[in-house]
Amino acid sequence: MLPEKRKMFKLTWKIWLWIIVLILALISIFITPNFLQKGVVISEVEKNSTAFEQGLRQGQVISEVDGNKIENAGDFSKIISEKFSLNESVKLTIKTQQGEHVLYSNLPPEITVSNIPKTNLKTGLDLSGGARALVKAKDEKLTHSQINDLVNIISNRFNVYGISDITVKSVSDLSGNYFMLVEIAGATPRDLQELISQQGKFEAKIGNETVFIGGERDITSVAKSGQDAGIYSCSQPQSAGDYFCNFRFTIYLSEDAAKRHAEITRDLEANYSTPEGNYLSQKLDLYLDDKLVDSLLISEGLKGRITTQVQISGSGSGAEKSDAIKDAEAKMKHLQTILITGSLPFNLEIVKLDTISPKLGDRFTKYILIAAIAALFSVATIIFIKYRRLKLVFPPLLICTSEIIIILGVSAIIRQDLDLSGIAGILAAIGTGIDDQIVMLDEAERKESLTVKQRIKRAFGIVLGAYFTSAVSLLPLLWAGAGLLKGFAVMTLIGITFGVLITRPAFADIIKKIEEKNASA
Amino acid sequence: MDEKTEQRTETSKQKFSERFIKFHDKNYKLLLFIPVILFVFCFAYMFNFYQKNSDFIYRDISLTGGTSVTISEQIDIDDLRKAVSGKLESVDIREISDLVTREQIAVIVETKADKSQTQKVLEDYLGYPLVEGENSNFEFTGSVLGEDFYKQLLIAILIAFCLMAIVVFIQFKTLVPSLAVIGCAFADIFMTLVAVNILGISVSTAGIVAFLMIIGYSVDTDILLTTKALKRDEGSLNRRIFDSFKTGIAMTLTSLFAVLIALIIVGPFSQILSQIFTIMSIGLGFDIFNTWVTNVSVIKWYASRKKKNV
Repeated sequence: MLPEKRKMFKLTWKIWLWIIVLILALISIFITPNFLQKGVVISEVEKNSTAFEQGLRQGQVISEVDGNKIENAGDFSKIISEKFSLNESVKLTIKTQQGEHVLYSNLPPEITVSNIPKTNLKTGLDLSGGARALVKAKDEKLTHSQINDLVNIISNRFNVYGISDITVKSVSDLSGNYFMLVEIAGATPRDLQELISQQGKFEAKIGNETVFIGGERDITSVAKSGQDAGIYSCSQPQSAGDYFCNFRFTIYLSEDAAKRHAEITRDLEANYSTPEGNYLSQKLDLYLDDKLVDSLLISEGLKGRITTQVQISGSGSGAEKSDAIKDAEAKMKHLQTILITGSLPFNLEIVKLDTISPKLGDRFTKYILIAAIAALFSVATIIFIKYRRLKLVFPPLLICTSEIIIILGVSAIIRQDLDLSGIAGILAAIGTGIDDQIVMLDEAERKESLTVKQRIKRAFGIVLGAYFTSAVSLLPLLWAGAGLLKGFAVMTLIGITFGVLITRPAFADIIKKIEEKNASA
Repeated sequence: MDEKTEQRTETSKQKFSERFIKFHDKNYKLLLFIPVILFVFCFAYMFNFYQKNSDFIYRDISLTGGTSVTISEQIDIDDLRKAVSGKLESVDIREISDLVTREQIAVIVETKADKSQTQKVLEDYLGYPLVEGENSNFEFTGSVLGEDFYKQLLIAILIAFCLMAIVVFIQFKTLVPSLAVIGCAFADIFMTLVAVNILGISVSTAGIVAFLMIIGYSVDTDILLTTKALKRDEGSLNRRIFDSFKTGIAMTLTSLFAVLIALIIVGPFSQILSQIFTIMSIGLGFDIFNTWVTNVSVIKWYASRKKKNV
C-alpha cells in the first residue's frame, strides 16, 4: 500500500517544469517593484515646481503626509484638498522611502499620484482608458529616420507640456508605410490634437522681417511659472458677455536673435504713445502656423538695443471667469511648449484617433472575468458529459487556468499591454489548448493494445501539426494594420507555444498517472 | 437502469450505428452533393453581392473611415436619430444596456463624417459639450487609412492561408488529403462570409481577425480526421473515422459553447468581442458540417480508391 501511494505522488520532470514555469509566471505578474509597500506612487511631477525642487520624483512611493498614513490615491487627494481649501501658505510634509520632503506653498503640490499597481500587468488603452492617435505626414512618405526624428520632437513636446504617462513610437505596416503612434493613458488632454499634429511654426515678425522663430536655435529658454509667467488680468468687456483673460510670459533669446531684433528696430521711429509710455511705429507680430495670434507694442527704450528678454502675451476667453482662466492657461502652456520645442519638420495628419474613458473599462473587466469563468465551467461540463468521470474534469481546468497565468506572466515580462485584441488572443489560445487536451484524453482513453505512453505520443503528432498551422497563420497579423492587432497575434502565439512546450506535456503525464492508477486499481 | 434495459439500449445503439455505417458506406459519395449545392449557392450569392457592393463584405467605419462616438449618458435614441439623420453621413445609432438591469448605459453613434463635424452636430443636439474620456469616447479613422487597413488585413488573411496550406502539405505530403484539409478551411471561411453578409453584419478590423481564427480552429479537426483515417491502421476505416468524429465533435462543441457563453456575457459591452465571437460561432458551426459531412466523404473515397489500387 505504502510504496504504491508514494509512486502516485511522484511527479515527472515535465510536471515539475510546468509547475516551475507557472510559479515564475506568478512571480512576474505579482512581484512588482513596490511589492508589499503601502502608499501611493508618484506618476508625474511637474518640472521646475516646488515639489520637484524638494526632490519628489516620478516613481517614488508616498507613505505619509503630515504624519497621516496614506493607503490609496483617495486618501492623498482628501488630505490635499482639505489642506489647500483656503488660499493660504501652509507647510506640507511628504514622506517617501527617500526621506521627508517639506513644502511651503499656498498651492497644492504639482504632482499626480496613483495607487501602487498590484500587478505588473499593463492593461491596454481600450481597458484602462486613454487616447491613441496614429499620425502620418500629409502628402509625403516618410523614411525610417524621418519618423524617428518626428517621434523625438513629439516626445519632447509632451514632456515640455507636462504629460509623462505617454508612449510615442514609430510603427510600420505591411506596405512599408511609417506611422507615429501616440498613446496617452488616463484622461485625454484638451488640446491633444493640436499637440500631436499642429506643425507649430512660430514666427515673430516686425513688418516682413522675421526676428525669431520657435525652437532652441533662437530661443534659449522660456519662463513657465513664477513671476515671469502667468495670467495677469481678466475682464468682461460687455456685461453678460464673455470673459477675457490675458497671460504673459518671458522668453530669452539667443545672441543672434537678439542682434537681429536690434538691427530691425534701429530704423524704426517712436511715434506711438499711450499713457504708459512711447512705443515704436511697428509692432512685433506673432504668427503661429502663418496665423496672426498677437501683436505686441515695442517700447521706445528697446529701439536698436540688443535685448535677450522678450515678453510674449496672449489671451483666452470663456463664458465664466473660471473658464476664461482655464482657456488662457491652456493657451499659454501650448504656446510655451511650441516655443521651446520648435516646429515639426512635416505637415502632419491624424489618420486615427481613439479615446476611451476609464469608466467603461472597469465594468468591462468585471464582465470579462465572469465570461471567462462561465466559459471554463461550460468546458468542464462538456468534458464531464463525455467521459462521465469527475477525475478527468480537473486536469483540463487546471491546465487551462495555468495557461492563462503563463500567458499573462509572459506578457508582463515582454511588456505587451493587455488589450481587447489580446484578450481575444488568450481566448483563442485556451480554445486550442482545450482542443488538444481532448485529442490527448481521447487517445489515452481508448482501449487498445498500445500503452498509454504510445497512444499519447501519437496524439502529440496531431497537436504539433495543429500548432504549426495556427502559428504560421498568425504571423502576418504582427504587421498588418500598423500593428494595432498585434496584441491578438502575440497573446495567441505565447499561449500556443507555451502550450505545446510546457502545458501539454505536463497534461500528458497527469493523464498517464490517472490512467495508470486506474489500471492498477 | 437494470441489466436488461441496459443491454437493450446497448444493442439498439449498436444497431443504429451499424445501420448508419451501412447507410454511409452506400451513400457517402451522394452526400457530397449537399456541400456542392451549398457551395454553388454561396458562389452565386457572393457573385451577386460583389456586383452590387463591389466589395466582399459590409465594412464598418474602422475599415471605411469615419467616426464612432460612445456617449455615456441617458439619451432617447429615436429622438436623437431623427435629429441627426440629415446632418451626418450614413449615421447608425445603437444603445448599450446593462445585462441585468436593462438600464441604458451608453449610446453609440457611428457615421462616415469626420470627428469635429460629428462632435459639433451631437453637441448641438445634446446642448452640452462632449468631453473625451469623461462623458464620451471617440474613435476616428481616416478614410485612406481605413481603406489601407482593409487591404492589408485581406493580404494578411491570404498570406496566413498560404502559410497554413504549406504547413499542411509538408505534414501530409500527399495531394488529396492535404487539399481536403485546405479546402475545408476555405469552405469554412467562405460560408461564414456569406452568412455574415446575409445577416448584414458590418465587419470591423476585429471581425477580420475572427476570420483568421477560423483558419486555426478549422484545421485542428481536419488534421485529426486525416491523421487518424489515413496514417493509422488499427481497426476498420469506419471505426477510425468514427473515433475521430467523437473526438473532433467534442473539440468543436466545447469551443462553440465557450464562445457562445462569452458572446452572451460580454457581447453587449464590446462591439469588438461581440463580433469576434459571433463570426467564430458561425465558423465553428460550418466547420462541423464541412469536416464531418464533406471531408469524411472525401477521405473515405480517397482511402477506398487507394485500397483498390493496392
